[in-house]
Amino acid sequence: MEPLLVVEHLTKIYQRGEILALDDVSFTVNRGEFLVLIGLSGSGKSTLLRCINRLIEPTSGRIIFDGIDVTKASPRELRLIRRRMAMIFQNFNLVRRSLVMTNVLAGRLGYANPWLSALQKFPRSDIEMAMANLKRVGIPEQAYKRADELSGGQQQRVGIARALMQKPDLLMADEPVSALDPATSNSVMQYIELMNKEDGVTVITSLHFLSLARRYGTRILALKDGKIVFEGLPAEIDEAKFKEIYGEEAEEVEIR
Amino acid sequence: MDEKYYAGFMTSKPDWMKGLKFIRRRILAFTTDFVFLAYTWTIFSFIVNMLAYQTKSFVILPWWVMLIATVEIAGLWESFGISVGMRLLGVQVSGGEEKPMLRLGRRFLRFILWNISGIPLFGLIFATDQGKRALHDRLSGLSVVKAEPATSRRRYTESWALASFGIVLSTIIAAALFTKVDMRAFFTGAPKTGRIWAALLTPDWSVFLKGFRYLITTIFTACLATAFAIVFAAPLSFLAARNLTHGIIGRIVYTIVRATMSIIRSIEPIIWGIIFIVWVKVGAFPGVLALFVHSVADLTKLYSERLESIDPGPVEAIRATGARTAHVILYGIVPQIINPYLSFTIYRWDINVRMATVIGLIGVPVIGQLLYQYTQLYKFHMVGMMMLLILATVWSLDYLSARLRARLK
Repeated sequence: MEPLLVVEHLTKIYQRGEILALDDVSFTVNRGEFLVLIGLSGSGKSTLLRCINRLIEPTSGRIIFDGIDVTKASPRELRLIRRRMAMIFQNFNLVRRSLVMTNVLAGRLGYANPWLSALQKFPRSDIEMAMANLKRVGIPEQAYKRADELSGGQQQRVGIARALMQKPDLLMADEPVSALDPATSNSVMQYIELMNKEDGVTVITSLHFLSLARRYGTRILALKDGKIVFEGLPAEIDEAKFKEIYGEEAEEVEIR
Repeated sequence: MDEKYYAGFMTSKPDWMKGLKFIRRRILAFTTDFVFLAYTWTIFSFIVNMLAYQTKSFVILPWWVMLIATVEIAGLWESFGISVGMRLLGVQVSGGEEKPMLRLGRRFLRFILWNISGIPLFGLIFATDQGKRALHDRLSGLSVVKAEPATSRRRYTESWALASFGIVLSTIIAAALFTKVDMRAFFTGAPKTGRIWAALLTPDWSVFLKGFRYLITTIFTACLATAFAIVFAAPLSFLAARNLTHGIIGRIVYTIVRATMSIIRSIEPIIWGIIFIVWVKVGAFPGVLALFVHSVADLTKLYSERLESIDPGPVEAIRATGARTAHVILYGIVPQIINPYLSFTIYRWDINVRMATVIGLIGVPVIGQLLYQYTQLYKFHMVGMMMLLILATVWSLDYLSARLRARLK
């Protein structure tokens, strides 16, 4: 079976300050994988994720998603690709003043009737789906609260529900738990794992803690200064590899 | 390193004219000093003339003498100390690592050479950011460097502070002389106003209904102007927000909208009123138009500043779902700005009611007109009535607007 995502020689140079954020990155992601990106802050993890759905325009290289060249897609094609790859964010990126329900339904915008949804009208099936997804992440009772009334962990679960609305083939998570406390982190990670195992959604997530990466990842990709420095199974990261990725002074911290 | 993302169509300020920065700084510093000194001279001359000869004249020496003297003093100042211009633009003349602020001989040499190479600006051509120095700097062995926090401060390096204090003080003295401040009259003339106070405090209720009718026109004028202004200002604000305009066309539109709005805003509503009285005809309508035009400009500025400070996160998230640009705006941007927009609008409406009162002066039939007429006729009991009405309106609006805006926080 062909891989879901192929990234070839991806390079990103930020014009301001001429920073080389990604340096000739190539890898493939197979269907059903749980790929974890690790690396220090500024190593290019977030840039890589945002290049895949072109929230950031890559400087050069190719991204093939399910046989379609993302880098060559027209604005319309890009929208159709984007609705198949959901994303969740470090700072949740919810519209804080809007209702939880509205935030979740926003995940449906790629599919929705442009005129009705402009008036904030969604089909009954979408609303039922939103409610079902909120139930799935365990916060159905929060549906009609404002998003900023929720705790951090609950907000990220709204983010997951929004991603579920897209019925995606790929979920990209940019440091989904680094703004959360350890206990909440694990529960959020479990919802992501559930998406991966039950719905068969392929996951690419960046994570700060290696212990989380080891526990959830089926494969690990380590970035350093925009280059891939390690690619392999979680078990393969030993002391030496760890020092290579995070630098000599680093020490592994356990999170449960 | 903390990464900063711009959510796609939100772009940031470009770095224009990077290379010429340093030369530009020095020219600007000199220009600032020149203007500063020329102003000081003029004000000083005025004070001397006024106090010594009671004449309102700005010159004590022939103008060309003053011009040359100003240039030379600016040159001396820049060579020996840190002038106001240098301070503002963050440059200083340095004599090297160990004695940055000393070397008086060299500084004097620099000043002499500066007259040869600096004034005709030829010397500056050789000066670029690093290493290359202007002719007069090179020959005197000094260099102009970016100002650093001084380790050992000397009085003459802080001459800019003394000069700034001097200019503020002399401006105040000159202004007092100019406006003929008369403290004796201020402290002795108060009893003469007693009759007016008495009249104002016993308002004439016979004109209450007339005043009330005018008051209603005033409030309606403000409402209409505000309502129309929202319709124009809300879309315009998107074009006037730096983070939403990108590309060359976007940048041009942004600049045009911003510039136009700031010009319109700088023209007082009362001037707009005069224009529109000629344009349409006398009545309340030109008042509506005057306030409308001014409100559009003001609201566009307030709205767009709010747009510039939105959180790009949700915008990015909505884009990532595959939504259309229109939906990105409706779902990602609008919820973030709707309450601040309403709050600004109420605030502006509040201002419009006050301004609607003022434009009565030019013949718009609002309550200000009655106020003005009765004052001219010395009918201070009626003026008192009008003031009471205005006071009640402004007070209740203040209260209402504050309450409404508190709800929108």
